[in-house]
Amino acid sequence: MTIIAKNVIKEFGEPPTRVIQGIDLSIHDGEFVSISGRSGSGKSTLLYLLSTLDDPSYGHITIDGIEPQKMSVDELHRFRNQHLGFVFQFHFLLPELTALENVLLPARRDNRHYDKEDEARELFKTFGIVDKIHKLPSQLSGGEQQRVAIARALIMRPKYLFADEPTGSLDSKNGQIVMDILKRCNSEWGTTLVLVTHEAEYAAMAQREVFLIDGRVTENHTTS
Amino acid sequence: MLFLAIRHLLSRKKQTVLIFLGISLGTLMFTVISGMQLGMREFIEARLLSNTSHIQISARDNIIDRDEMTERFYGNQPVDWLVPPAGKREEAHIMYPQGWFDRLSNDPNVTGYSPSFTMNVIISHRESKYPSSLIGIIPTMYQQVMDLQKYVSEGRITDLSEGGNKVIIGVSMLKKLGSQIGDNILISSGLGELRPFKIVGTFSMGMEQIDDSLMFASLKDVQTLNKTPGQINGISVSLVNMERAHELASQWQLTSRDKVQSWEQANAQFLQIFDFQDYTRLAVTAAILIVAGFGIYNVLSIMISQKRKEIAILRSIGYPPKMIMELFLIQGIMLGVTGAIIGLGIGHLINMYLSTVSLGIGMGGDNTMTISYAPSIYIEGFLLAFISAILASFLPARAASKLTPLDIIRSDV
Ligand SMILES: Nc1ncnc2c1ncn2[C@@H]1O[C@H](COP(=O)(O)OP(=O)(O)OP(=O)(O)O)[C@@H](O)[C@H]1O
Ligand SMILES: [Mg+2]
Repeated sequence: MTIIAKNVIKEFGEPPTRVIQGIDLSIHDGEFVSISGRSGSGKSTLLYLLSTLDDPSYGHITIDGIEPQKMSVDELHRFRNQHLGFVFQFHFLLPELTALENVLLPARRDNRHYDKEDEARELFKTFGIVDKIHKLPSQLSGGEQQRVAIARALIMRPKYLFADEPTGSLDSKNGQIVMDILKRCNSEWGTTLVLVTHEAEYAAMAQREVFLIDGRVTENHTTS
Repeated sequence: MLFLAIRHLLSRKKQTVLIFLGISLGTLMFTVISGMQLGMREFIEARLLSNTSHIQISARDNIIDRDEMTERFYGNQPVDWLVPPAGKREEAHIMYPQGWFDRLSNDPNVTGYSPSFTMNVIISHRESKYPSSLIGIIPTMYQQVMDLQKYVSEGRITDLSEGGNKVIIGVSMLKKLGSQIGDNILISSGLGELRPFKIVGTFSMGMEQIDDSLMFASLKDVQTLNKTPGQINGISVSLVNMERAHELASQWQLTSRDKVQSWEQANAQFLQIFDFQDYTRLAVTAAILIVAGFGIYNVLSIMISQKRKEIAILRSIGYPPKMIMELFLIQGIMLGVTGAIIGLGIGHLINMYLSTVSLGIGMGGDNTMTISYAPSIYIEGFLLAFISAILASFLPARAASKLTPLDIIRSDV
């Protein structure tokens, strides 16, 4: 299954300004696609459209063959819970929950947090933060917080992982660690990864690079 | 969402505790004020019922009707009366007592009835005269309707045997007369001659105006004193269920020209005070709960504006709006419910304490405040807190559920 965008247009404001100006794009299962471009080129907007967080003004987007707008509110949220993972520039961890509780939050939705606990511990181990498992977010470094946020995005084993500048607030060392994790998650588990980044180095790690200028795709090429 | 709700509340202990106090205080006040007011009501109702039966049937005065007289004497001729006929035709009495007795003894709602003849008398003692109401009863029947024996401090009501000219009088009256049990007093109907009656007992109902003016004697003796043998002017009725007094009284009234009154009707003016009390009680409580409700509203509103990011992330990991709403509603409800339970609990303890404090004034009984522990107090108190908590958390919770993840994630830097 895939994500397919057909002539997608997104307008904001009144009078409407087009931020996404007619994009056709397919993302295949298991692919690692990077989206890059200058600030304000519409990278985030496109990512939100591809990931059900936003609806296009015109055109169609299907994910697994379904248009998100056509799902009921409950179906949409269940779909996000089971199939989508999100990582943003900021970690958005809940400050009153420990690292482990934060990671298990998606599983808690349907009371599956007990089943998922071993898996969560495994993720902490893989990410090299097993000693932080019972710490509160405020007791973690930025890189550790972001790794916990990635673990939270992965706990439900989603088919799709959407990352918007996940390294944006990290130093290069931590940025590298986070990128390694994301890359491994794509190559080892076959998670479809859509990464927004303005760092050429990270964009180049993808199998396919998409460049945006003013809401239009100007390049869309597969790296060797 | 319970888990998260609890974490949220625990993460802001100070505010939580404050709200908690507000709600607890509100329900506590409600419990204590209600306990005292309803207690007073129970106390006074018990007093009223000690000399008011559930239903009282009494004779209506037979007032002469001018038009009826004209017609009876002159038919349809026009008549100008110089002195029109007026006034009472005869002393009020129940016209057909046997009809009532048959009816009452066959009614399954009735547990007992007691015919009586009440008359105003004058007691002459030494050089003084005292007005008094003398009630003629058949002791065994009267006891079935009202527990007079409970209030009799000396003697037994069964001592009021027929033809013995014996009376039981109130303690205050005994004091006023300066008499003792066993003494004779002279009683007259005001028209006839004085007759000696022997004091064989005293009662104390705890109400001054009753204890110094009422006397009980045997029905026969009173009828004889009034020279109206066989007449009665009252029937006291006790019911299986006193709540039905009003309903049954109205029903019986339809088919009788005697006056049929429930105990509430007989004491209507008195009982009006309690309606007023209910309003003040609710007003005080409402004021407190409104304050507490605003507290909940504020805390949740502030919490939600601080937690916009978290709400956004919850939405993106698949928590639908209704679960977000639940998250904040639960917090409001938990504050309301636990606050209410604690308030009710402490209020109950305060009430238990209050009911042991001696008032040091003669009210009859054991001289302590009567406190009501009616379940309705606790149910109403709980519901008040619960409903105000739900109302106060509903708006913020709904606002939270309407936040979309995107605006927040995007706007945050
Ligand atoms: N909700 C909105 N209302 C109005 N304009 C918006 C809205 N969201 C985005 N825009 C505009 O759309 C354009 C693209 O925004 P977007 O966030 O997608 O850019 P970006 O490529 O992610 O930039 P950056 O690298 O800085 O994150 C910007 O000019 C932005 O101001
Ligand atoms: Mg962006």
